[in-house]
Amino acid sequence: MLVMVLIFYLIPLVMTVYLSFTSMKNWNVKYLFDLVGFYNYHRLFYMFQHDPSFKAIVLTTIVFILITLVVNVFGGLGLALGTFFLSDIVGSKFRLLWLLPRIAPIAVYSLVWYYFFHETSIGTLNSILMELGIIHQPIPWGQIIPWGAWSVIIFVNGLVGVSFGMIVFTSALNQIPKELVIAARVDGASAWTISKRILIPLLKWHLLYVLTWQFLSLLTTYCHLFLLVEWNLVNRDYGTTLALYVYNTAFLGGELDQGLAAAVILSVIGVSGGFLTLKLLGFEKMMKRPRGDV
Amino acid sequence: MRDIETKSRKSELLIILTIVIASVPMILAFSLLVLSSFSEEMVTNLKSFRPTLENWINLFQGKMAITGSIRVNIFEITLNTLIVALGVAGLVTIVSTLAGYALSRMDFRGRKHVMIALLVLHAFPGVALIVGVYLLYKLTLPQDPDLMRFYSFFYVILARGALEIPMSVWLMKGFFDAIPWEFEWSGIIDGASRITVWRKIMLPLVKPGILAVALFAFIAGWQDIIYVRTFLIDQTLATFIESNIESEFSHMPLIAAAGTLYLLPTIVFFLIAQRILLQGYSGGLKG
Repeated sequence: MLVMVLIFYLIPLVMTVYLSFTSMKNWNVKYLFDLVGFYNYHRLFYMFQHDPSFKAIVLTTIVFILITLVVNVFGGLGLALGTFFLSDIVGSKFRLLWLLPRIAPIAVYSLVWYYFFHETSIGTLNSILMELGIIHQPIPWGQIIPWGAWSVIIFVNGLVGVSFGMIVFTSALNQIPKELVIAARVDGASAWTISKRILIPLLKWHLLYVLTWQFLSLLTTYCHLFLLVEWNLVNRDYGTTLALYVYNTAFLGGELDQGLAAAVILSVIGVSGGFLTLKLLGFEKMMKRPRGDV
Repeated sequence: MRDIETKSRKSELLIILTIVIASVPMILAFSLLVLSSFSEEMVTNLKSFRPTLENWINLFQGKMAITGSIRVNIFEITLNTLIVALGVAGLVTIVSTLAGYALSRMDFRGRKHVMIALLVLHAFPGVALIVGVYLLYKLTLPQDPDLMRFYSFFYVILARGALEIPMSVWLMKGFFDAIPWEFEWSGIIDGASRITVWRKIMLPLVKPGILAVALFAFIAGWQDIIYVRTFLIDQTLATFIESNIESEFSHMPLIAAAGTLYLLPTIVFFLIAQRILLQGYSGGLKG
């Protein structure tokens, strides 16, 4: 295990940081020792000020993370609470259904939404709206900037993230003594009152856990976005987050050195976020966290 | 939750209705994909559904276009996907069972640091790593074409497996933690070595854990697209779908059939391993 951690985490990490100080282009080894200092970082900053498409990417990253985070946390909370009040069998069926976005192959999941938001009348959404007579021309949803593209990527990734919060909250809810709920029920409290007054206050720690963890995940996720952008479903600039930008510069041609500088910045945010999470939640609690029992 | 005496049916129906409405787009989108694979053109409403098996026949014969002679071997592509998924599952299971046992039972120096490091690694942006991993791959790639293909499989399994290992080790450690020390002691007192105890006593007891870890690793390997398209020379179902969606000759319902085929094992797992799925993901995954 240590060897694998070394080969696939530590060495690549050092390489990435090192390469961000060289003028690496197109994986050409001859640039390997061409050190340029902080030039790439300077240029990234310059681009942020003057290049509209890079500006769009940074803006997209911020909007995407904030809104998707809210959707994920509250969607997960809503689902967990909702299924909590149902009988076990029905509840777990729903929870299982919402796991589908996470375990379906990424290509299939993206394909499904590709058909759904497709810009011609083949697209399910366009077809339904045209049938109902709400619109008369098919709308290229993902190409309306900025909010059309943002809505599509937030929707697609939001559904994936909901299941994480849902499962954490459900396992937490099941540990709450049932007497509390039943006593409140006897006193005539509705599901809504029970949730607001009893359950949510007891879930504070888990809310924090899901919030920080999901933030880190969203910061670094790019596989669904990669397909949506590549298939031209969403606008290139307003559908790309920083993580995807790094991948695209590295593997679809482009300014690799610059992407690497962005990667290092992302990593710094990610790692400090990771440590912050540990501090915030207390390591002792994290020790108990991944027990695998609900 | 069950408390029959005080449950009100009306509020339950309301909750079910709300969740169903929230789930409609997802159910609709997935079922349209499956339905389209049996139809002559993409199904957007029930009027355009004209049943046919042609897409599936063409897919298995490898006929990508209605006209022309572009051929692919879908069985080989599926096999490639399977190799990657099984490889990742095997690798992750072995490593995390060993490491999980060590972290759970042995009090070596730096144990706590290793565990913190594993958590932080999990929070680390994969995209920053993949660049370095790719450079390493470029530098070590053999020249011989046959060896190159083999190496790319080997490498993609290692690289994708490494991504899963931090969380799997944590999960396995949790399963080992749940087993009382006394079982192990009694084995050691009877004269068994540490390895024998691990193999004969501990392994059978953590079977559910091993199953869970293997299942998650398999799903991760099966669904992956980024690592496969970056490192693997051969095509898998993921890259097959990716590359055919924009090309001029591709027939959309046929891609839908490929997607359905790709989705199939996931659905099977979904049905047989519901409990494991709902439990194990509490360990946390990226996404």
